[in-house]
Amino acid sequence: MGFFSGLNAEKYDRQYTDKQLIARIIPYIRVHIRRLIVIAVIVLAMSGSGALYPVIVARGVDLMKSQPSYAAIAGVSGAVLALGVLNWALNWMRRRLTVRTVADVLLKLANDAFKAATEHDLSFYDQYSSGRIQSRITSDTRDFGNLIVMTTDVVSQVAESLLLAIILVRIEWRLSLIVFALVPAVFIFAISYRRLARRVTRRGMQAMADVNAAIKETVSGIAVAKNFRQEASIYEEFNRANRTSFRVNVVRGVVLALTFPTLNIIGGVVSAVLIYSGGLTVAQGMITAGVWYLFLQSLDRFLFPVMSLSSFWTNIQSGLSAAERVFALIDAEPAVVQTDSQPVTHLEGRIDFEHVNFQYKSGEVVLQDFTLHIQPGENVALVGHTGAGKSSIARLIARFYEFQDGRILIDGRDIRTLNLEQYRRKLGIVSQVPFLFSGTVMENIKYACPDGVSDEEVVAIARQIGGGEWVETLPQGLETEVGERGARLSMGQRQLVSLMRVLVQKPSIFILDEATASIDPFTEWQIQQALALILEKTTSILIAHRLSTVRSADRIIVMEKGRIIETGSHEGLLAAGGHYATLYNTYFRHQSLLYRPEGLDEFLQYKLELKLKEE
Amino acid sequence: MTVTTGSAEFTLKRPYQTNRSGPVRWVFSHAIRKWPFWILVFGGAFGNAALAAVVPGLIGQAFNAIVASPPQVDVLPRLAIGVALAQVVRSILQFGRNAGSELLAQNIEREVRDELYISLLGKSMTFHNLQPVGDTMARATNDVREVNFMFSPGLSLVIGSLNFLILPLFVAPQIHPALILTPALFVVSYYFALRHYLGTLRSVTDEVRASFGHLSTRLSEVLDGIETVKGAAQEKAEVERFRANSTRYRDASVRQGDVEARFLPMLLFSTALALGLLHALLLFRQGLLDVGQVIYYFGILLMLDFPTWTSMWAYSQISLGLAGARRILELMNRETTLDQNAAGYAGPMRGEVEFRDVTFAYEGHEPVLENISFKVQAGQTVAIVGQTGAGKTTLVKLINRTYDVQKGQVLVDGVDVRDWNLEALRRGISIIEQDIFLFSRKIAENIAFGKPDASHEEIEAVAQAAQAHEFITSFKDGYDTVIGERGVTLSGGQRQRVALARAFLTDPRILILDDSTSAIDSATEDKIQRAIFTAARGRTTFIITHRLSQIRWADLIIVLRKGRIAAIGRHEELLETSEAYRRIFSE
Repeated sequence: MGFFSGLNAEKYDRQYTDKQLIARIIPYIRVHIRRLIVIAVIVLAMSGSGALYPVIVARGVDLMKSQPSYAAIAGVSGAVLALGVLNWALNWMRRRLTVRTVADVLLKLANDAFKAATEHDLSFYDQYSSGRIQSRITSDTRDFGNLIVMTTDVVSQVAESLLLAIILVRIEWRLSLIVFALVPAVFIFAISYRRLARRVTRRGMQAMADVNAAIKETVSGIAVAKNFRQEASIYEEFNRANRTSFRVNVVRGVVLALTFPTLNIIGGVVSAVLIYSGGLTVAQGMITAGVWYLFLQSLDRFLFPVMSLSSFWTNIQSGLSAAERVFALIDAEPAVVQTDSQPVTHLEGRIDFEHVNFQYKSGEVVLQDFTLHIQPGENVALVGHTGAGKSSIARLIARFYEFQDGRILIDGRDIRTLNLEQYRRKLGIVSQVPFLFSGTVMENIKYACPDGVSDEEVVAIARQIGGGEWVETLPQGLETEVGERGARLSMGQRQLVSLMRVLVQKPSIFILDEATASIDPFTEWQIQQALALILEKTTSILIAHRLSTVRSADRIIVMEKGRIIETGSHEGLLAAGGHYATLYNTYFRHQSLLYRPEGLDEFLQYKLELKLKEE
Repeated sequence: MTVTTGSAEFTLKRPYQTNRSGPVRWVFSHAIRKWPFWILVFGGAFGNAALAAVVPGLIGQAFNAIVASPPQVDVLPRLAIGVALAQVVRSILQFGRNAGSELLAQNIEREVRDELYISLLGKSMTFHNLQPVGDTMARATNDVREVNFMFSPGLSLVIGSLNFLILPLFVAPQIHPALILTPALFVVSYYFALRHYLGTLRSVTDEVRASFGHLSTRLSEVLDGIETVKGAAQEKAEVERFRANSTRYRDASVRQGDVEARFLPMLLFSTALALGLLHALLLFRQGLLDVGQVIYYFGILLMLDFPTWTSMWAYSQISLGLAGARRILELMNRETTLDQNAAGYAGPMRGEVEFRDVTFAYEGHEPVLENISFKVQAGQTVAIVGQTGAGKTTLVKLINRTYDVQKGQVLVDGVDVRDWNLEALRRGISIIEQDIFLFSRKIAENIAFGKPDASHEEIEAVAQAAQAHEFITSFKDGYDTVIGERGVTLSGGQRQRVALARAFLTDPRILILDDSTSAIDSATEDKIQRAIFTAARGRTTFIITHRLSQIRWADLIIVLRKGRIAAIGRHEELLETSEAYRRIFSE
């Protein structure tokens, strides 16, 4: 395993036995079997021509024993040229085929992984960061693809040196032993050197992470430093980080700079031995000068394969563990399972929770024996402290999570029997952090119903919100690019767009997890208008953070630890002075127009005195 | 190092000046300062190549000795030791080249980053307000690193391999003048083949990069927004989109593979070997060369493989490095228009602010503010309200000259801000932005940031006033708690109060508060409001706010709409005059 494997292991990771893993990989490879066979043939041919090359050159040296004929000269040079051209052409074909095979395997694997990712329910995404999932879909698949490239490279190099080794042994086994002495020397060097390199690299990476953090902080802090004219002090901090970075990198760089020189020394010493012993052998008449030259030339052709081979195993292992990570993502079991796929063409919007038990993780009960009936067209606001289970109710209705016991009925039908895609099309959901995709405002509004809303329709609906003023404040109106994740729009604008998305979709059930971010009062007013439009036509479940939203509900449900502790209307509950009244004092009091902040009176008093003094 | 005042807002003298007129010149002006390393690089590269050329000569001599009749075995040990020595010395020189270029690269990375950072410190606040931090970060880390890689391994390999390319041109004719033919032909054709290859490769790799960027941007959006995707039942559409994006990436990488597979210099190298062998054997046949010379010559030709394989990527490394240098340079060369105005009016400041028919636009854009006029007495509290993008933040940033107006005037104490000494102006004005940046230092140090010599009592007093003392002392380490360490994170409301304390310590005459964070509960809201009341005592205060409760008691309320004043006055007046204002205050 790569030395980082411990760092990005996830709980859904499973241990595949080698057999399972290969069984899992084979289908992806099998479809390209023809290409792979051709690649194998080319690889072998390349090894042959590669091994033949020094032999031919040696023949050229032997030609010089006497006066060579023109034909012989042309023959040897022609053979060298032909081999060179052949090798280039074979390499060209091999690379073309390999790059296609790898790209296609990668394409299929990445698509399968992505499809699997979209099929997982939200409990999966709660547990695993989307960044990690993304790296499985992009970089792990790529590492696996590299495995194929690496294998063909190493196989071809090793085959070539094996062929050459056989030729050498057959010609003169004692000299061959000298050449082969190179192998363990390089191998030992490669392995011990890698250990050293890994140590300095790892130390370097930790230091670099700190340095990068320091640089990030000093770059982000410039504006503040300028505000307080503290440039010199922040420069000191930056300078420290920059110097540390230098020190760490110099050590790493110099260690890495050792590789090729050391290899050259090993190669140089072995070739000196060969010059001496080979020369003696030639002098004794046991081999020709050409063969001597062949041995000298062969040295280089052993160096590289040995280097690649010494790292091959580690690379194979990291490629395989990358594959394992991808397959773990594909093979993870979804938690939400539908028992049937009944069509959902029309919804009244009646929702019934019957004795539902729900927990995200075993042992952490969120809802227990929970029963709630929501009438078609009713607007229900859920209030309570964080962790009371409000969001869980909304998420269960959206079927984002699997519940353990009891039943959830939609229009009297078991939620598990519905066709999920058709059912969700009848739901309008606005999540707490409204999410937009790169593209225009218009594209985002149409996101939930790509099959048919006209631009005119969208414009007409947009006008219903505060006379469409919000569209005018967008730089290019509905064609404004929202930027990545909607970053170019303000939070309020993003909320408006996601409410528009629901308005255009015309769902039967509306689920709103209200944002806590503050929004300017003008936009807020428009949001309320949009909300009112939606509430009119749908059964609504509102996880309310704003006083105005709570007030607009038909029924308020006060929750605590997964249970309903009070229900009623805003005025009624407030008058009763129970749990709702406490919650109101905690969360909603300061939103009321009647709110008088502490200290206001003193402040006004101060202002008044000031004024009197001036007069 | 000395701090000087000049046209830039802040200047540190670097040990040497650089030429910023172009990326190549700029990189060169850094590199030339490190000349001792260059000796190491060039000396190492040349010695390495020269000794590499000596080895085949020795081998040739060995062959001559052995094929002679009778064979002269006694010279073999000398020649073998010669080869071993040459290889060992050349390896040491090669290490010298590698290490020299590595030291050079690291030195340059440090210097470049230092120069960039000092230049950033000297930029105006305007610059920093407009320049995204992420972008600056990328230049200070990735681009700087690219410049490093340009030297090592990039230039190191290029210089090393050029020696291997050029040396045969000189050594071959020493063996026999005619033998210059093959290396010369190779060098010329290599040049053209490489130029063509790099040109073709660049457009292809650009497409690979672009298609991958597109793929991963969308992917990360979808994974982050998975709830939205699922809620809208758009999984299938996203799978289709991913298929299209990944197919585009696949096609691009196949095209890149095709270009790389066709790498012509490799073919040229094989051809050169065949041609050279032919030529040498013909000369041998004519008796112009002996065996040893043929072997010597062939060994010299084999040196050409180093430049051949290196060129696959060493040159791209250099162009990447220059692209990085260009981006860094572009950032440093961006103009910063505000000047210190050291001779300007230097206060003391009372805190009176007036806008006279102010119009402002960011360069090349539509005006953000138009015809803004109002006057604020010292000590008054002004609430600025309006939708996002209405120009609220821009308006307040004209007061401390983060930006300069295009038309009209901004006056503080009746003096145009452009006639103020910038230092004095900024000292009197404190801005608390919406995104509050706190350093990963102790809370006490954060509060004392603008007044590093503040006593502990002073720090605690301002924290009290900002309603921050209570939550700070609730941490185990109190004021010594390091922000960001061991999971200590502050909520938006807490950050705001630390920032207020930080501002109180410098006692500004004008305080500008971008108060757009929200309090989730009423108790926190009470705290923040109380802190703001304290802040507003005895100084002019501008508050950009969403809070109706704050708007109401302000001395002056400015309602901005699309860069213009839609309404202005006290609460009671606005209820009368503004429809939009009345709307937000109606239940």
